[in-house]
Amino acid sequence: MNIIEIILLPLIAFVIGIFFLGLSRKIMARIHWRYGPPIAQPIIDIIKLFNQRSISHGSIFNLGIILSLAGSIVVVLFLPLGRICPLSSSGGLLVVLYVMLLGPLGIALSGGEAANPNTSIGISRKLVLSLGYEVPMLLIFLAVMTYYKTVSIIEIVTTQQSMGWSFASLPLLLSGIAYLLILPAILGIRPFDIVGAPQEISSGPMVEYGGKFLALATIQHAFSLFIGIALFVNLFLGGAGDAFTLLERLLNPVGLGCIVSFLTGLTFFLKMLVVFVICLFINAAYPRLRIEQAIKYLWKWPTLFAFAGLVIVLIIRR
Amino acid sequence: MDRNQLIKWLKAPAKMGHKYSLHVIYFCTGCGIIEIPPVITSRWDAERFGVIPVATPRQANLFLITGYVSVKTLKAIIRTYEQMMEPKFTVGFGSCPINGGMYWDSYNTIKHLDKYIPVDGWIAGCMPRPEAIFIAVTHLWTLIDKGMANGYKKYRENYKYYRANQKQLYGKIEWPPLFPMEDKGKPGPS
Repeated sequence: MNIIEIILLPLIAFVIGIFFLGLSRKIMARIHWRYGPPIAQPIIDIIKLFNQRSISHGSIFNLGIILSLAGSIVVVLFLPLGRICPLSSSGGLLVVLYVMLLGPLGIALSGGEAANPNTSIGISRKLVLSLGYEVPMLLIFLAVMTYYKTVSIIEIVTTQQSMGWSFASLPLLLSGIAYLLILPAILGIRPFDIVGAPQEISSGPMVEYGGKFLALATIQHAFSLFIGIALFVNLFLGGAGDAFTLLERLLNPVGLGCIVSFLTGLTFFLKMLVVFVICLFINAAYPRLRIEQAIKYLWKWPTLFAFAGLVIVLIIRR
Repeated sequence: MDRNQLIKWLKAPAKMGHKYSLHVIYFCTGCGIIEIPPVITSRWDAERFGVIPVATPRQANLFLITGYVSVKTLKAIIRTYEQMMEPKFTVGFGSCPINGGMYWDSYNTIKHLDKYIPVDGWIAGCMPRPEAIFIAVTHLWTLIDKGMANGYKKYRENYKYYRANQKQLYGKIEWPPLFPMEDKGKPGPS
Protein backbone atom coordinates (compact mmCIF):
# COMPACT_ATOMS: atom_id res chain seq x y z
CA MET A 1 0.00 0.00 0.00
CA ASN A 2 2.83 2.32 0.96
CA ILE A 3 4.59 1.72 -2.36
CA ILE A 4 1.44 2.57 -4.32
CA GLU A 5 1.18 5.81 -2.37
CA ILE A 6 4.84 6.64 -3.05
CA ILE A 7 4.18 6.27 -6.79
CA LEU A 8 0.78 7.94 -6.65
CA LEU A 9 1.68 11.09 -4.71
CA PRO A 10 4.25 12.54 -7.19
CA LEU A 11 1.84 11.75 -10.02
CA ILE A 12 -0.97 13.68 -8.32
CA ALA A 13 1.45 16.51 -7.55
CA PHE A 14 2.54 16.56 -11.21
CA VAL A 15 -1.03 16.70 -12.48
CA ILE A 16 -1.99 19.45 -10.03
CA GLY A 17 1.18 21.44 -10.77
CA ILE A 18 0.71 21.21 -14.54
CA PHE A 19 -2.96 22.13 -14.16
CA PHE A 20 -1.91 25.18 -12.16
CA LEU A 21 0.56 26.19 -14.87
CA GLY A 22 -2.16 25.97 -17.53
CA LEU A 23 -4.68 27.71 -15.29
CA SER A 24 -2.27 30.55 -14.59
CA ARG A 25 -1.84 31.17 -18.33
CA LYS A 26 -5.59 31.07 -18.89
CA ILE A 27 -6.46 33.33 -15.96
CA MET A 28 -3.72 35.82 -16.83
CA ALA A 29 -5.09 35.89 -20.39
CA ARG A 30 -8.63 36.54 -19.18
CA ILE A 31 -7.35 39.37 -16.95
CA HIS A 32 -5.64 40.84 -20.04
CA TRP A 33 -9.00 40.52 -21.93
CA ARG A 34 -7.55 37.82 -24.15
CA TYR A 35 -9.04 34.43 -24.94
CA GLY A 36 -5.96 32.57 -23.75
CA PRO A 37 -4.44 29.21 -24.61
CA PRO A 38 -6.22 25.91 -23.95
CA ILE A 39 -5.76 24.75 -20.38
CA ALA A 40 -3.70 21.77 -21.56
CA GLN A 41 -1.14 24.02 -23.24
CA PRO A 42 1.71 23.16 -20.79
CA ILE A 43 1.22 19.47 -21.62
CA ILE A 44 1.39 20.25 -25.36
CA ASP A 45 4.58 22.24 -24.69
CA ILE A 46 6.12 19.37 -22.72
CA ILE A 47 5.25 16.83 -25.44
CA LYS A 48 6.87 19.11 -28.03
CA LEU A 49 9.95 19.75 -25.90
CA PHE A 50 10.53 16.04 -25.33
CA ASN A 51 10.43 15.53 -29.11
CA GLN A 52 13.03 18.21 -29.85
CA ARG A 53 16.74 17.71 -30.17
CA SER A 54 18.57 19.17 -27.19
CA ILE A 55 22.08 20.42 -26.67
CA SER A 56 23.99 19.52 -23.53
CA HIS A 57 26.76 21.64 -22.08
CA GLY A 58 28.43 18.91 -20.00
CA SER A 59 27.69 16.24 -17.42
CA ILE A 60 26.85 18.64 -14.57
CA PHE A 61 24.39 20.34 -16.94
CA ASN A 62 22.60 17.00 -17.32
CA LEU A 63 22.86 15.89 -13.69
CA GLY A 64 21.94 19.21 -12.08
CA ILE A 65 18.49 19.37 -13.64
CA ILE A 66 17.82 15.75 -12.62
CA LEU A 67 19.01 16.56 -9.07
CA SER A 68 16.64 19.50 -8.96
CA LEU A 69 13.69 17.41 -10.19
CA ALA A 70 14.51 14.56 -7.79
CA GLY A 71 14.80 16.98 -4.86
CA SER A 72 11.37 18.40 -5.65
CA ILE A 73 9.83 14.91 -5.86
CA VAL A 74 11.36 13.98 -2.48
CA VAL A 75 9.83 17.09 -0.87
CA VAL A 76 6.46 16.14 -2.35
CA LEU A 77 6.74 12.70 -0.72
CA PHE A 78 7.18 14.33 2.69
CA LEU A 79 4.01 16.41 2.40
CA PRO A 80 0.76 14.74 3.47
CA LEU A 81 -2.06 15.10 0.94
CA GLY A 82 -5.22 14.13 2.77
CA ARG A 83 -5.04 10.41 3.53
CA ILE A 84 -2.02 9.91 1.27
CA CYS A 85 1.07 10.40 3.43
CA PRO A 86 3.74 7.81 2.56
CA LEU A 87 6.82 9.35 4.17
CA SER A 88 5.48 12.30 6.11
CA SER A 89 5.44 10.46 9.43
CA SER A 90 9.20 9.96 9.28
CA GLY A 91 10.33 13.37 8.13
CA GLY A 92 8.53 16.46 9.23
CA LEU A 93 9.17 20.11 8.74
CA LEU A 94 12.94 19.97 9.30
CA VAL A 95 13.49 17.53 6.44
CA VAL A 96 11.22 19.56 4.15
CA LEU A 97 13.21 22.67 5.03
CA TYR A 98 16.49 21.01 4.08
CA VAL A 99 15.42 19.15 0.96
CA MET A 100 13.54 22.17 -0.42
CA LEU A 101 16.96 23.72 -1.10
CA LEU A 102 17.80 20.99 -3.64
CA GLY A 103 15.45 22.39 -6.29
CA PRO A 104 17.09 25.80 -6.78
CA LEU A 105 20.53 24.32 -6.08
CA GLY A 106 20.21 21.79 -8.91
CA ILE A 107 19.11 24.49 -11.34
CA ALA A 108 22.04 26.65 -10.18
CA LEU A 109 24.54 23.82 -10.71
CA SER A 110 23.10 22.94 -14.08
CA GLY A 111 22.85 26.50 -15.32
CA GLY A 112 26.32 27.35 -14.06
CA GLU A 113 27.82 24.72 -16.35
CA ALA A 114 26.44 26.56 -19.39
CA ALA A 115 28.63 29.62 -18.59
CA ASN A 116 26.12 32.09 -20.02
CA PRO A 117 26.33 35.52 -18.32
CA ASN A 118 22.52 35.72 -18.11
CA THR A 119 22.52 32.42 -16.22
CA SER A 120 25.01 33.69 -13.66
CA ILE A 121 22.93 36.81 -13.05
CA GLY A 122 19.79 34.68 -12.73
CA ILE A 123 21.43 32.27 -10.28
CA SER A 124 22.80 35.04 -8.10
CA ARG A 125 19.35 36.64 -8.07
CA LYS A 126 17.76 33.33 -7.13
CA LEU A 127 20.16 32.77 -4.22
CA VAL A 128 19.73 36.33 -2.95
CA LEU A 129 15.95 36.01 -3.22
CA SER A 130 15.93 32.72 -1.30
CA LEU A 131 18.10 34.39 1.34
CA GLY A 132 15.37 37.01 1.49
CA TYR A 133 12.39 34.71 1.96
CA GLU A 134 14.01 32.03 4.07
CA VAL A 135 14.49 34.30 7.09
CA PRO A 136 10.74 34.86 7.53
CA MET A 137 10.04 31.26 6.52
CA LEU A 138 12.28 29.91 9.30
CA LEU A 139 10.58 32.20 11.83
CA ILE A 140 7.15 30.99 10.63
CA PHE A 141 8.17 27.32 10.87
CA LEU A 142 9.60 27.94 14.34
CA ALA A 143 6.34 29.52 15.45
CA VAL A 144 4.30 26.61 14.09
CA MET A 145 6.61 24.00 15.61
CA THR A 146 6.60 25.75 19.00
CA TYR A 147 2.83 26.13 19.02
CA TYR A 148 2.09 22.50 18.22
CA LYS A 149 5.18 21.18 20.06
CA THR A 150 6.04 18.85 17.17
CA VAL A 151 7.94 18.79 13.87
CA SER A 152 5.65 16.24 12.20
CA ILE A 153 3.34 17.74 9.58
CA ILE A 154 0.81 14.91 10.08
CA GLU A 155 0.46 15.76 13.77
CA ILE A 156 0.07 19.44 12.92
CA VAL A 157 -2.72 18.56 10.48
CA THR A 158 -4.53 16.24 12.91
CA THR A 159 -4.28 18.78 15.73
CA GLN A 160 -5.80 21.38 13.44
CA GLN A 161 -8.70 19.06 12.72
CA SER A 162 -9.69 19.08 16.40
CA MET A 163 -8.71 22.67 17.21
CA GLY A 164 -9.61 24.48 13.99
CA TRP A 165 -7.36 25.98 11.32
CA SER A 166 -4.22 27.61 12.63
CA PHE A 167 -4.84 30.48 10.20
CA ALA A 168 -8.06 31.16 12.11
CA SER A 169 -6.53 30.74 15.57
CA LEU A 170 -5.29 33.96 17.08
CA PRO A 171 -1.70 33.01 18.06
CA LEU A 172 -0.73 31.78 14.58
CA LEU A 173 -2.64 34.40 12.58
CA LEU A 174 0.38 36.66 12.22
CA SER A 175 2.57 33.77 11.03
CA GLY A 176 -0.08 32.82 8.48
CA ILE A 177 -0.20 36.37 7.15
CA ALA A 178 3.59 36.39 6.93
CA TYR A 179 3.53 33.16 4.90
CA LEU A 180 0.94 34.66 2.55
CA LEU A 181 3.19 37.71 2.12
CA ILE A 182 6.22 35.62 1.12
CA LEU A 183 4.25 33.10 -0.95
CA PRO A 184 4.77 34.99 -4.27
CA ALA A 185 8.52 34.95 -3.61
CA ILE A 186 8.48 31.20 -2.93
CA LEU A 187 6.48 30.54 -6.10
CA GLY A 188 8.62 32.97 -8.11
CA ILE A 189 5.68 34.96 -9.51
CA ARG A 190 5.30 38.69 -9.85
CA PRO A 191 6.29 40.95 -8.09
CA PHE A 192 9.15 38.52 -7.39
CA ASP A 193 9.79 37.09 -10.87
CA ILE A 194 13.23 38.70 -10.85
CA VAL A 195 14.89 35.31 -11.25
CA GLY A 196 13.59 34.43 -14.69
CA ALA A 197 12.77 37.88 -15.99
CA PRO A 198 12.49 37.32 -19.76
CA GLN A 199 12.76 40.98 -20.69
CA GLU A 200 15.83 41.72 -18.57
CA ILE A 201 18.03 38.65 -18.49
CA SER A 202 16.48 36.38 -21.14
CA SER A 203 14.67 34.09 -18.66
CA GLY A 204 17.66 33.83 -16.32
CA PRO A 205 18.82 30.31 -15.35
CA MET A 206 16.68 28.83 -18.16
CA VAL A 207 18.52 30.69 -20.89
CA GLU A 208 20.54 27.72 -22.16
CA TYR A 209 17.78 25.13 -21.69
CA GLY A 210 16.16 23.77 -24.78
CA GLY A 211 14.38 20.58 -25.69
CA LYS A 212 14.32 17.94 -22.97
CA PHE A 213 16.09 20.13 -20.43
CA LEU A 214 13.42 22.79 -20.70
CA ALA A 215 10.75 20.10 -20.35
CA LEU A 216 12.36 18.83 -17.14
CA ALA A 217 12.72 22.40 -15.87
CA THR A 218 9.01 23.01 -16.58
CA ILE A 219 8.07 19.86 -14.65
CA GLN A 220 10.29 20.98 -11.76
CA HIS A 221 8.54 24.35 -11.82
CA ALA A 222 5.17 22.59 -11.61
CA PHE A 223 6.38 20.60 -8.58
CA SER A 224 7.71 23.72 -6.86
CA LEU A 225 4.31 25.40 -7.35
CA PHE A 226 2.69 22.38 -5.69
CA ILE A 227 5.17 22.38 -2.79
CA GLY A 228 4.86 26.08 -1.95
CA ILE A 229 1.06 25.99 -1.84
CA ALA A 230 0.69 22.54 -0.25
CA LEU A 231 2.93 23.58 2.65
CA PHE A 232 0.70 26.59 3.30
CA VAL A 233 -2.46 24.48 3.13
CA ASN A 234 -1.01 21.85 5.46
CA LEU A 235 0.39 24.24 8.04
CA PHE A 236 -2.30 26.91 8.12
CA LEU A 237 -5.48 25.78 6.37
CA GLY A 238 -5.88 22.47 8.17
CA GLY A 239 -4.63 20.15 5.43
CA ALA A 240 -7.31 17.99 3.90
CA GLY A 241 -9.74 18.69 6.70
CA ASP A 242 -11.86 16.21 8.54
CA ALA A 243 -15.30 17.13 7.34
CA PHE A 244 -16.08 13.59 6.27
CA THR A 245 -15.91 11.60 9.55
CA LEU A 246 -19.64 10.91 9.48
CA LEU A 247 -19.49 9.87 5.84
CA GLU A 248 -16.52 7.63 6.61
CA ARG A 249 -18.38 5.92 9.42
CA LEU A 250 -21.18 5.22 6.96
CA LEU A 251 -19.07 4.08 4.03
CA ASN A 252 -16.24 2.14 5.66
CA PRO A 253 -18.31 -0.96 6.55
CA VAL A 254 -19.53 -1.11 2.95
CA GLY A 255 -15.94 -1.03 1.70
CA LEU A 256 -16.16 2.35 0.01
CA GLY A 257 -13.47 4.06 2.14
CA CYS A 258 -11.63 5.11 -1.01
CA ILE A 259 -14.43 7.58 -1.80
CA VAL A 260 -13.64 9.37 1.45
CA SER A 261 -9.93 9.53 0.58
CA PHE A 262 -10.90 10.97 -2.79
CA LEU A 263 -13.12 13.57 -1.15
CA THR A 264 -10.40 14.61 1.30
CA GLY A 265 -7.98 14.93 -1.62
CA LEU A 266 -10.57 17.06 -3.40
CA THR A 267 -10.92 19.44 -0.44
CA PHE A 268 -7.12 19.72 -0.31
CA PHE A 269 -7.09 20.58 -4.01
CA LEU A 270 -9.83 23.18 -3.62
CA LYS A 271 -7.94 24.90 -0.80
CA MET A 272 -4.80 24.94 -2.95
CA LEU A 273 -6.80 26.35 -5.85
CA VAL A 274 -8.14 29.25 -3.77
CA VAL A 275 -4.64 30.15 -2.53
CA PHE A 276 -3.19 29.89 -6.03
CA VAL A 277 -5.87 32.07 -7.62
CA ILE A 278 -5.23 34.75 -4.97
CA CYS A 279 -1.53 34.55 -5.89
CA LEU A 280 -2.45 34.93 -9.57
CA PHE A 281 -4.38 38.12 -8.87
CA ILE A 282 -1.29 39.48 -7.07
CA ASN A 283 0.73 38.36 -10.11
CA ALA A 284 -1.56 40.26 -12.46
CA ALA A 285 -1.72 43.43 -10.40
CA TYR A 286 1.91 44.12 -9.57
CA PRO A 287 4.94 44.99 -11.68
CA ARG A 288 8.33 43.37 -11.15
CA LEU A 289 10.45 44.59 -8.24
CA ARG A 290 14.18 45.10 -8.42
CA ILE A 291 16.26 42.70 -6.35
CA GLU A 292 17.15 45.20 -3.64
CA GLN A 293 13.53 46.33 -3.38
CA ALA A 294 12.49 42.69 -2.99
CA ILE A 295 15.03 42.10 -0.21
CA LYS A 296 14.00 45.33 1.52
CA TYR A 297 10.37 44.21 1.41
CA LEU A 298 11.03 40.61 2.46
CA TRP A 299 13.17 41.55 5.42
CA LYS A 300 10.74 44.23 6.57
CA TRP A 301 7.05 43.32 6.67
CA PRO A 302 6.97 39.50 6.48
CA THR A 303 9.90 39.23 8.89
CA LEU A 304 8.24 41.66 11.27
CA PHE A 305 4.95 39.73 11.17
CA ALA A 306 6.70 36.38 11.54
CA PHE A 307 8.80 37.61 14.46
CA ALA A 308 5.77 39.08 16.23
CA GLY A 309 3.94 35.79 15.64
CA LEU A 310 6.84 33.84 17.14
CA VAL A 311 6.94 36.09 20.22
CA ILE A 312 3.17 35.70 20.75
CA VAL A 313 3.42 31.92 20.44
CA LEU A 314 6.37 31.83 22.88
CA ILE A 315 4.42 33.88 25.44
CA ILE A 316 1.32 31.68 25.12
CA ARG A 317 3.14 28.37 25.17
CA ARG A 318 5.60 29.26 27.97
CA MET B 1 -8.39 23.21 -35.88
CA ASP B 2 -7.79 19.62 -34.90
CA ARG B 3 -6.08 20.29 -31.58
CA ASN B 4 -8.80 18.39 -29.73
CA GLN B 5 -8.70 15.20 -31.78
CA LEU B 6 -7.36 12.54 -29.47
CA ILE B 7 -6.66 9.99 -32.21
CA LYS B 8 -4.30 12.33 -34.00
CA TRP B 9 -2.46 12.94 -30.74
CA LEU B 10 -2.04 9.21 -30.16
CA LYS B 11 -0.91 8.58 -33.73
CA ALA B 12 1.73 11.31 -34.02
CA PRO B 13 2.28 13.16 -30.73
CA ALA B 14 5.53 14.75 -31.91
CA LYS B 15 3.97 16.30 -35.00
CA MET B 16 0.97 17.63 -33.08
CA GLY B 17 3.28 19.03 -30.42
CA HIS B 18 5.34 20.88 -32.99
CA LYS B 19 2.15 22.23 -34.55
CA TYR B 20 0.38 23.56 -31.52
CA SER B 21 3.27 24.76 -29.42
CA LEU B 22 5.18 27.27 -31.51
CA HIS B 23 7.58 29.20 -29.34
CA VAL B 24 8.54 32.19 -31.42
CA ILE B 25 11.67 34.26 -31.41
CA TYR B 26 10.81 37.55 -33.09
CA PHE B 27 13.83 39.07 -34.75
CA CYS B 28 13.34 42.82 -34.85
CA THR B 29 15.38 43.72 -37.89
CA GLY B 30 13.22 46.56 -39.17
CA CYS B 31 9.84 48.21 -39.30
CA GLY B 32 7.91 44.92 -39.27
CA ILE B 33 8.30 44.50 -35.54
CA ILE B 34 5.60 47.14 -35.00
CA GLU B 35 3.02 44.56 -36.13
CA ILE B 36 4.05 42.10 -33.43
CA PRO B 37 2.79 43.80 -30.21
CA PRO B 38 -0.89 43.71 -31.35
CA VAL B 39 -0.42 40.07 -32.30
CA ILE B 40 0.80 38.91 -28.89
CA THR B 41 -1.37 41.20 -26.75
CA SER B 42 -5.11 41.45 -26.36
CA ARG B 43 -6.08 42.76 -29.83
CA TRP B 44 -5.13 39.58 -31.73
CA ASP B 45 -4.26 37.11 -29.01
CA ALA B 46 -1.68 34.75 -30.50
CA GLU B 47 -1.44 32.65 -27.37
CA ARG B 48 -4.74 30.90 -28.15
CA PHE B 49 -2.90 29.20 -31.02
CA GLY B 50 -0.07 28.20 -28.69
CA VAL B 51 2.17 30.86 -30.20
CA ILE B 52 4.11 32.65 -27.47
CA PRO B 53 7.26 34.77 -27.60
CA VAL B 54 10.32 33.43 -25.81
CA ALA B 55 13.48 35.21 -24.82
CA THR B 56 16.22 32.92 -26.07
CA PRO B 57 16.83 30.96 -29.29
CA ARG B 58 17.40 27.76 -27.29
CA GLN B 59 13.74 27.65 -26.27
CA ALA B 60 12.32 28.68 -29.62
CA ASN B 61 11.22 26.65 -32.62
CA LEU B 62 9.76 29.33 -34.89
CA PHE B 63 11.93 32.14 -36.19
CA LEU B 64 10.07 35.20 -37.46
CA ILE B 65 12.21 37.67 -39.38
CA THR B 66 10.38 40.96 -39.64
CA GLY B 67 11.47 43.59 -42.12
CA TYR B 68 14.61 44.28 -44.09
CA VAL B 69 17.80 42.40 -43.29
CA SER B 70 20.95 44.44 -43.38
CA VAL B 71 24.30 42.77 -43.90
CA LYS B 72 25.25 43.34 -40.29
CA THR B 73 22.04 41.88 -38.78
CA LEU B 74 22.25 38.86 -41.05
CA LYS B 75 25.24 37.72 -38.99
CA ALA B 76 23.10 37.75 -35.84
CA ILE B 77 20.27 36.02 -37.71
CA ILE B 78 22.52 33.17 -38.81
CA ARG B 79 23.93 32.70 -35.32
CA THR B 80 20.45 32.77 -33.78
CA TYR B 81 19.17 30.28 -36.34
CA GLU B 82 22.05 27.91 -35.68
CA GLN B 83 21.41 28.03 -31.92
CA MET B 84 17.78 26.98 -32.22
CA MET B 85 16.75 23.40 -31.50
CA GLU B 86 15.63 21.16 -34.34
CA PRO B 87 13.00 20.93 -35.69
CA LYS B 88 12.89 24.66 -36.34
CA PHE B 89 10.83 26.72 -38.75
CA THR B 90 11.52 30.10 -40.30
CA VAL B 91 9.03 32.61 -41.64
CA GLY B 92 10.01 35.78 -43.46
CA PHE B 93 7.63 38.66 -42.74
CA GLY B 94 7.24 41.49 -45.28
CA SER B 95 8.55 42.03 -48.79
CA CYS B 96 12.08 42.98 -47.80
CA PRO B 97 13.38 39.52 -46.82
CA ILE B 98 11.74 38.07 -49.97
CA ASN B 99 13.35 40.20 -52.67
CA GLY B 100 14.68 43.36 -51.07
CA GLY B 101 11.36 45.21 -51.29
CA MET B 102 11.83 48.95 -51.32
CA TYR B 103 15.50 48.44 -50.53
CA TRP B 104 16.03 46.54 -53.78
CA ASP B 105 19.00 48.72 -54.79
CA SER B 106 20.49 49.31 -51.36
CA TYR B 107 24.17 48.54 -50.91
CA ASN B 108 23.61 47.54 -47.31
CA THR B 109 20.72 45.05 -47.28
CA ILE B 110 20.57 41.51 -48.56
CA LYS B 111 17.95 40.82 -51.22
CA HIS B 112 17.15 37.12 -50.83
CA LEU B 113 17.11 35.78 -47.30
CA ASP B 114 16.76 32.18 -48.42
CA LYS B 115 20.22 32.21 -49.91
CA TYR B 116 21.65 32.39 -46.39
CA ILE B 117 19.22 30.44 -44.20
CA PRO B 118 16.36 28.18 -45.29
CA VAL B 119 12.93 29.81 -45.08
CA ASP B 120 9.77 27.71 -44.73
CA GLY B 121 7.28 30.38 -45.66
CA TRP B 122 6.85 33.99 -46.62
CA ILE B 123 4.33 36.66 -45.70
CA ALA B 124 4.29 39.16 -48.55
CA GLY B 125 3.24 42.77 -48.16
CA CYS B 126 4.57 46.09 -47.01
CA MET B 127 3.48 45.93 -44.23
CA PRO B 128 1.34 42.82 -43.87
CA ARG B 129 -1.51 43.15 -41.40
CA PRO B 130 -1.16 41.35 -38.06
CA GLU B 131 -3.78 38.81 -39.19
CA ALA B 132 -1.30 37.68 -41.82
CA ILE B 133 0.76 36.13 -39.06
CA PHE B 134 -2.18 33.88 -38.18
CA ILE B 135 -2.59 32.90 -41.83
CA ALA B 136 1.10 32.08 -41.88
CA VAL B 137 0.81 30.02 -38.70
CA THR B 138 -2.19 28.04 -39.99
CA HIS B 139 -0.38 27.49 -43.28
CA LEU B 140 2.68 26.33 -41.35
CA TRP B 141 0.42 23.82 -39.57
CA THR B 142 -0.59 22.26 -42.88
CA LEU B 143 3.05 22.23 -43.97
CA ILE B 144 4.09 20.46 -40.74
CA ASP B 145 1.20 18.03 -41.18
CA LYS B 146 2.38 17.11 -44.68
CA GLY B 147 6.03 17.00 -43.61
CA MET B 148 6.90 19.85 -45.96
CA ALA B 149 8.29 22.28 -43.39
CA ASN B 150 11.73 20.76 -43.71
CA GLY B 151 13.96 23.83 -43.87
CA TYR B 152 16.11 22.60 -41.02
CA LYS B 153 16.77 19.36 -42.89
CA LYS B 154 17.74 21.36 -45.96
CA TYR B 155 20.14 23.43 -43.89
CA ARG B 156 21.76 20.25 -42.63
CA GLU B 157 21.99 18.63 -46.07
CA ASN B 158 22.99 21.63 -48.17
CA TYR B 159 25.12 23.27 -45.52
CA LYS B 160 27.97 23.81 -47.94
CA TYR B 161 25.77 25.90 -50.23
CA TYR B 162 24.54 28.13 -47.40
CA ARG B 163 27.99 28.44 -45.87
CA ALA B 164 29.47 29.42 -49.22
CA ASN B 165 26.84 32.14 -49.65
CA GLN B 166 27.52 33.44 -46.16
CA LYS B 167 31.25 33.40 -46.84
CA GLN B 168 30.76 35.29 -50.07
CA LEU B 169 29.09 38.07 -48.13
CA TYR B 170 31.50 38.30 -45.22
CA GLY B 171 34.77 37.01 -46.60
CA LYS B 172 35.64 35.28 -43.36
CA ILE B 173 33.23 33.80 -40.83
CA GLU B 174 34.32 33.83 -37.18
CA TRP B 175 32.38 30.76 -36.04
CA PRO B 176 33.18 27.17 -37.03
CA PRO B 177 30.83 25.25 -39.36
CA LEU B 178 27.84 23.68 -37.65
CA PHE B 179 27.61 20.58 -39.84
CA PRO B 180 30.14 18.61 -41.93
CA MET B 181 30.64 20.29 -45.30
CA GLU B 182 29.39 17.81 -47.88
CA ASP B 183 28.65 19.06 -51.35
CA LYS B 184 24.96 18.38 -52.05
CA GLY B 185 24.46 21.35 -54.35
CA LYS B 186 21.64 23.85 -54.29
CA PRO B 187 18.55 23.10 -52.17
CA GLY B 188 15.41 22.29 -54.10
CA PRO B 189 12.23 24.35 -53.96
CA SER B 190 10.19 23.90 -50.80
